[in-house]
Amino acid sequence: MHFEQLKFAVLWIVVTGLTGVLSAPAQADEFTQADLNRWQEQYAKVVKDGRELWTSSKLGSNGVACVQCHPNAANTHPETYPKFQKQLGKVAPMWEMINWCIRNPLEGKALAADDYKMIALQAYITEERRGVKLDPGKH
Amino acid sequence: MNKSINRRDFLKGAGVLAAASALPVSMVELVFADTTQNFSFAYISDAHLQQIKGTKFVNNWDRGLIRAVAETNLLTPKPDFILFGGDLAQLGKKAELDHGAEILSALRGNKVYHVMGEHDYYLDLGQYWETLFGPQYYSFDHKGVHFVVLNSILTYDDWTYKRWPTAEQRMLEMADLDNPNGSPFMVGDKQREWLKQDLAKISKTTPIVVVSHSPLQKIYKNWNFWTDDAEQVQALLRPFNKVTVLYGHVHQIQYNQIGNISFNSVMSTAWPWPYPSTYAQAEQYLPKLTVPMNRADPFFERDATGWQFINMANGNVDMRYNLFSNTSRTVAFNTKTGEPEDTVFQSPDKRIPPQTQY
Amino acid sequence: MKACFSGASTITAISISLAAMATPLGLPPVPIPADNPQSPEKIKLGDKLFHDTRFSSTGQVSCATCHDAKKTFTDSPLPVSRGINKLKGTRNAPTVINAAYFHRLFWDGREPSLEEQSKDPMINPVEMGLPNHEPVLKLVRTDPEYVQAFKTVFGKSGEQLTMEEVKKAIASFERTIVAGNSPFDHYYFGGDKNAMTAAQIRGFKVFMDQGRCVSCHTVEQDQALFTDNRFHNIGIGINQMQKDVPRLAGEFLKAKMQGGDVDKAVLGNPKTSNLGRFAVTDTLDDMGSFKTPTLRNIAMTAPYMHDGSLKTLKEVVVHYNNGGVTRKGDRVNDFLSGGIRPLNLSERQISDLVAFMGH
Repeated sequence: MHFEQLKFAVLWIVVTGLTGVLSAPAQADEFTQADLNRWQEQYAKVVKDGRELWTSSKLGSNGVACVQCHPNAANTHPETYPKFQKQLGKVAPMWEMINWCIRNPLEGKALAADDYKMIALQAYITEERRGVKLDPGKH
Repeated sequence: MNKSINRRDFLKGAGVLAAASALPVSMVELVFADTTQNFSFAYISDAHLQQIKGTKFVNNWDRGLIRAVAETNLLTPKPDFILFGGDLAQLGKKAELDHGAEILSALRGNKVYHVMGEHDYYLDLGQYWETLFGPQYYSFDHKGVHFVVLNSILTYDDWTYKRWPTAEQRMLEMADLDNPNGSPFMVGDKQREWLKQDLAKISKTTPIVVVSHSPLQKIYKNWNFWTDDAEQVQALLRPFNKVTVLYGHVHQIQYNQIGNISFNSVMSTAWPWPYPSTYAQAEQYLPKLTVPMNRADPFFERDATGWQFINMANGNVDMRYNLFSNTSRTVAFNTKTGEPEDTVFQSPDKRIPPQTQY
Repeated sequence: MKACFSGASTITAISISLAAMATPLGLPPVPIPADNPQSPEKIKLGDKLFHDTRFSSTGQVSCATCHDAKKTFTDSPLPVSRGINKLKGTRNAPTVINAAYFHRLFWDGREPSLEEQSKDPMINPVEMGLPNHEPVLKLVRTDPEYVQAFKTVFGKSGEQLTMEEVKKAIASFERTIVAGNSPFDHYYFGGDKNAMTAAQIRGFKVFMDQGRCVSCHTVEQDQALFTDNRFHNIGIGINQMQKDVPRLAGEFLKAKMQGGDVDKAVLGNPKTSNLGRFAVTDTLDDMGSFKTPTLRNIAMTAPYMHDGSLKTLKEVVVHYNNGGVTRKGDRVNDFLSGGIRPLNLSERQISDLVAFMGH
């Protein structure tokens, strides 16, 4: 936001506050309920795909699925990343730990950070942890 | 080592199993008031042996059971018998059950009693399991204690017989702990009637140990840490002075006291499960008594898995959790409070970080 | 004073500091016990004690015999150490380098500190062979140089001078033997991308990923001790004697409860030695497990493992690659630590890993 725009916004709040009239001028990022619904559906689809992968015996090579140790993605604590991960020897984001699990208990091939599967897995894990406050670095 | 050994020392300190293994039997028995009611048994559970293809099985789960068997074989004096608490297989396959029976056959010189788990059951409804291990529910007496083994993982007939097009799908639907298509476990009318008859012959002062796969108490329904007719089973047990329920399925340390009944869970040799209290979206009833087990380090595949060495002390149960790659725990019945308690970590100020983290 | 034994080894570079000096790149500060602060005089005294062969029954063996600075503080290439009269022990001499960072000492962790460790070999029958510590005390209370030195450092002499002071001085000296600031440290912590070769850089990636070495040989964000200070059964020694375990464990515990000495038992009998940390803790979980050694300067301390049974680093990597057995297809012991499993490394990955550790 540019400084000029910021000044305008402050002024607008003061004015509407004084007059009590809600007559906002059109904003660049305005969106409708239909937009919200559609985006929510798209998110839900990715979460659903993530759940499929989570319970799939095909994600790795030995038939083991994430859900076997993590029902409802519990004990994955996405809200604590990034954090020091001793299996990785460094402070790491969650997707690197997901890959650790894919490579080790699942004996599978690691996914690229921007692989759709990786995004879906993270969407599912995070969805199951919704409402929990961020606590990065926590063990 | 000249100090006199009392029962408490026997249970703690320099590794009870090892200490026991070096003590001549007479020394162990001296410490108990009534030797006829004191004995030990080993409890191994939830191995989840999982076939990949042909003779290939998931190495991680194999190692857990192999290790538990090897450690149990080191106990001297030998445990009087061994209980296997169910879920020997992952998907109820013959190959998995056979593989499990083979690994367990290395147990030396002890009778092994088996309990039915849902992973053993829902492919062929226990048929092959029965040919290997015998009836799905039964009772036996040992040194003054009455043991009852129940199949607690049954569910509604509609779900079992009508809902699924194939046996394989039925098995898969029940195999995922958190699957909304699953169905609550129960002991069922038929077995409860049998239990009533079985207990009718038993004196009220006889200690009773009931062994089931699922908890005969209600902790968290969505993961079947739950048995739907738990209260009805508990009611049948209420007239007895000393009752203990031992259960598997939960892959974690849990213990509780409801009226006259002590509840103790056993560990899995395969993998640990999170406590339902750590799942943000759920209401659950983890017993307040329970001090959670340590959080697992996934690199050490055996961490937070293990098996149990159980001492029957005058009709109550003292659980020694033998944990791989982790601090062993002892949950013993405290005759003063009338509750099972961790001998080290029970008081809140004695907890250590891995037990309070998630 | 600073000495560098670099060679081509990646994670090598030893510095011996006589006084407080800057911590080498890649290491945390050396932990110093509150009751045994460092001083130049104490370190010098410890150095003298460490090299004194008069603390053995034959007058020929000192600490330095098995922990020789010229051999990276080991007795390489011996598989297991030789004490008085060339008597053989059961274990490979671990280097003193970075021993200051260990939480427990000896392969099985049977002593809690360098201080406590330092006294044991003097009275072990296959090491320095003294019947007890009296001859040591007699010497330090009468030898004029020692009398003077102990008086200066601890203000004690005569009967007041005990093994406590001897142990403290030796430990102080050992705490100066640290190694960091290596090509690896420059590469990883110092930002010098040319400090390691291409093969070593590839090997480091294997170390951190598919090789899973980092899980026990720890590397952290700003330091790398290459040890988790824990004990693991990795299938060395015990694989070959699994069927003897029930009998041996029982016999050993019985002897221990009747007052048997663990130090003597584990160094006197190779099979008992292979019970590992179990012999110390009596805990089944520790069956066949040994301490994770540091990997710094590892290329210069062959052979490897607690029993010196593997001659080269390549053999070590192959053992892990096979899932805890030296020869592919052999049976692994039932007490194997979780985390040890076949790694499916290629020949190239194996040689890169060896290059990283410093060929």
